[in-house]
Amino acid sequence: MLPWTGVPPRAWTSALLLIAGVGGLALVVSLAFGNTGVNIATLALMQVAAVLALATFSGNSGIVSFGHSAFMGIGAYVFSVLVMPKGIQASALPNLPMWLQGHELSIAAALLIVLVVGLVVGILSGFPLARLSTGSAAIGTLAFLIIIHVTLIGARDFTRGSQTFYGVPRLTTVYVAFLAAAAFILVARILKETPLGLKLRAARENEVAAAASGVNVRLSRHMGWALSIALSVVVGALYGSFLGAFSPKDFYFDLIFTLISMLIVGGMLTVSGAVAGTVLLAGVVQILRQAETGIDLGPLHIPGIFGLPQLGMGLALLLTIWRRPLGLMGLREIGPDWPRRKLEPMPPEALHTTPAGAPLEVDQVTMRFGGLVALDNISFSVPPRQVTGLIGPNGAGKTTLINIICGQTKPTAGRIVIGGREMAGKAPHCVAMAGLGRTFQNIRLFDRMTALENVTVAAISKGHDAMMARRIALAELTRLGLAHRAEDLAGSFAYGDRRRLEIARALALEPKFLLLDEPAAGMNPAETDALIRVLESIRADHEIGLLVVEHDMRLIMRLSDRMVVLNKGQKIAEGTPQEIRSNPKVIEAYIGTKRARH
Amino acid sequence: MKNFRFAVLAGAIGIVSLTSAAAAEDITIGLATAQTGGLAYADQPSLAGFKMAVDEINAAGGLGGKYKIVLDIKDTRTDTAATVQAAQELVAAGVKVMITPCDADPSIAAGQISQPAQIPTLTFCGTTPTITEAVGDYMFGTYPADNGQAALLADYAAKKGYKNIYVLKSPDSAYTLRLPEYFEEVFKKKGGTILGEGTYTMGQQDFAAEVTKIKALSPQPDAIMTAAYEPDFPAFLQQLRGAGVTAAIIGSDGIDSPTITGLGAIANGIVHTTAGSPVAGSKLAAFYDKFKEKTGAAPETVYVATGYEIPYILDAAVTAAGSVDGPALRDALANLKDVEVLTGKVTYAGTNRMPIRDITIVEIQDGKRAPVVTAMPDPADVPKP
Repeated sequence: MLPWTGVPPRAWTSALLLIAGVGGLALVVSLAFGNTGVNIATLALMQVAAVLALATFSGNSGIVSFGHSAFMGIGAYVFSVLVMPKGIQASALPNLPMWLQGHELSIAAALLIVLVVGLVVGILSGFPLARLSTGSAAIGTLAFLIIIHVTLIGARDFTRGSQTFYGVPRLTTVYVAFLAAAAFILVARILKETPLGLKLRAARENEVAAAASGVNVRLSRHMGWALSIALSVVVGALYGSFLGAFSPKDFYFDLIFTLISMLIVGGMLTVSGAVAGTVLLAGVVQILRQAETGIDLGPLHIPGIFGLPQLGMGLALLLTIWRRPLGLMGLREIGPDWPRRKLEPMPPEALHTTPAGAPLEVDQVTMRFGGLVALDNISFSVPPRQVTGLIGPNGAGKTTLINIICGQTKPTAGRIVIGGREMAGKAPHCVAMAGLGRTFQNIRLFDRMTALENVTVAAISKGHDAMMARRIALAELTRLGLAHRAEDLAGSFAYGDRRRLEIARALALEPKFLLLDEPAAGMNPAETDALIRVLESIRADHEIGLLVVEHDMRLIMRLSDRMVVLNKGQKIAEGTPQEIRSNPKVIEAYIGTKRARH
Repeated sequence: MKNFRFAVLAGAIGIVSLTSAAAAEDITIGLATAQTGGLAYADQPSLAGFKMAVDEINAAGGLGGKYKIVLDIKDTRTDTAATVQAAQELVAAGVKVMITPCDADPSIAAGQISQPAQIPTLTFCGTTPTITEAVGDYMFGTYPADNGQAALLADYAAKKGYKNIYVLKSPDSAYTLRLPEYFEEVFKKKGGTILGEGTYTMGQQDFAAEVTKIKALSPQPDAIMTAAYEPDFPAFLQQLRGAGVTAAIIGSDGIDSPTITGLGAIANGIVHTTAGSPVAGSKLAAFYDKFKEKTGAAPETVYVATGYEIPYILDAAVTAAGSVDGPALRDALANLKDVEVLTGKVTYAGTNRMPIRDITIVEIQDGKRAPVVTAMPDPADVPKP
């Protein structure tokens, strides 16, 4: 299976359009302004490639990286050492180790080595980075910027330290730059639609929900980072060869600031945005650069003001953040919806029916927070093909129990068994993969992704290729009556639809068990009735066990086969709805807290 | 989409004219220098002086008496990529001479573009001695090179009778690292001892660790040599004197700024190099007066004077060559000897195109700088770059 299997055809169209647009602009500028134009085009094309390398990680993961410019520096130095003429190398780098001396490689061979180096560096640096939370990861990238900068300065035998590294052949012609930009546009645009891209974007939108949909957030980020770094290292090689002479400070704050500005102005969330922002800012800088030496308008002479380009860039950034926080392009990729290949939903009968197997066991689970016992030796089971209701007044310990079942919290003692496997303390995505789908009390969707993408993420986690995953996703959307809105952004959905979309996503995981956390919260009676019908049909179609946590007594009594009641961290009752209704302990717990609605 | 189209349109309309024509007997000098960003502190005053000299020379008939100077000035924003671009544009525009920023990176990057086009190229005040060798025979320095400065300082220290010297350097720039290293090399050759070395990060502000290390030395150093400048140097000095260390301070031309004299009593006794010191009655002092008369403010740094000198160095070369043809001008520049400028004499003959020129060592006392010695470093002393 190729990585781009199942990528929607319009992604290719949009990538080709962007390449044609960038190439066309470069051609126009080159033809119109001769040599000067060629230089402008070369620099701008390289900036497009550099911004796309950054966007591959930052755009998809939502983590702004400040480190990419330093990684570009690594590429520049490695490439230069490999291609520079023997004579110059001997005088510029007298202490270079033998094995690096005098290779004088061709540009293609050197780029290949640089790419490999980039991947290795990306994978290694990804280990600490992938372990950081979203917020601290950005700071982590800053650490990379500083560490690499200092290392480049320190490795004097290879880099001449803080002194200028010179004698680099200028191999980056406008054609090379265009090829790089075109390749990077293609990689970035297609990657966005691949399983890895979808997982990264899902984690960007909502990390908890992504994990609950089976996405290994850490692994996805690690892979995305490594790829993005490899691209950065390659573009750094070309950038260094464009400069001809550089030192570590050329790959420090100023460069990454420019790249991030371009990305933000265009829009981090789309490849079109990254390209548009780069082209726009490169254009602004070039235009203002001409203006800053002064303009003669016949008798009127406007004196030159130095610093206009920076002023222009700063203003563009400010305007963007103020007027269009998502950047010029927002959420849209340019390009028509063509070629349009009709996506066939999987026929319902072909959808999985997970073998029933053993029940989900909650076995003697105890949770203490310091001296507080939040859960005291709770045991019950969720059998397949049945609905188990979990109720309890506020503070009973329901949320803690759910967090333990889903792997977000490790219990102090006790076991959670799903499909015969011990899951207590395992990561949420492992629990999801073991067969537990879930929805959230406060709905967690991937708002800036389409409904289809939301559901596809879960199907992909299950191991389907992108095309199959999309067909399964469409089938689940159809089942929940959302097929007509498959291409709409989840963020634009009304409340009831959001609930149903979340259920569709959970079902695409082909779970053995489905945990619904207050599915009827905030619904009116009509919506609740509709929900009950949906849940009943799920139970009829799938051989799965449902665990429903709910305050709405009407819903839970009607839906549940069996019920478990928690109060103050203890299980106070278990049985059929009729038994629970007449259980004096339950009545006391509810009347005591005045939570009963019926 | 609409915005994208707009951006493209604006780009196409905005770039209007990129060429400038020059008359037959004109000589266009292209300046790709940093008028904004981190290097502006040196490139701006250099340009101010440069322009003033060009006006004077044009009023007197032009370079060599017949070539009127036309300037093509581009800002490089202290960005090497922008410098490369500016240099490529200047070469394409057919400039006869190019001026590059006060730093090695952009100067070498630009020089590599002007070298194949046979355009003599001079750096404003780039002091790294490798600049010219890295580029080739069309690249010239104008300012005292780091190794020359260091040699003169080491000579001064040895003659002053200093035996033990502590050196503070920063690997963050070639200037803050290599200049002290050149100093060490020469000082050791002259029989001195380097008692120890400390390093700092540019902009670190807190020098407690370095100061403690110095205070613990036994014997205490006779002097501390460093190429640190603002904001590191004042911070270091205050903390050093605050800790009670009394060793003399030997600095480089990086601290040739008003900030240092403004430090008050703790700056007393600091010795440092400068390209020139405006002693009453000197040519430099006269220039400072002239500059003040013209612009209303006295020059704040010697860069104004060194920038002013460059057109006159070119004038001498054009006069000698009798033409502004690239190879002829290069040969004439490379053979210049004892050209009288504001700060003394400049000689290229026999060098690797980093000039040998007078350097002044000054001592700060009570907020004023008094010249200690003005001399050319002995070529035998100057370490290899």
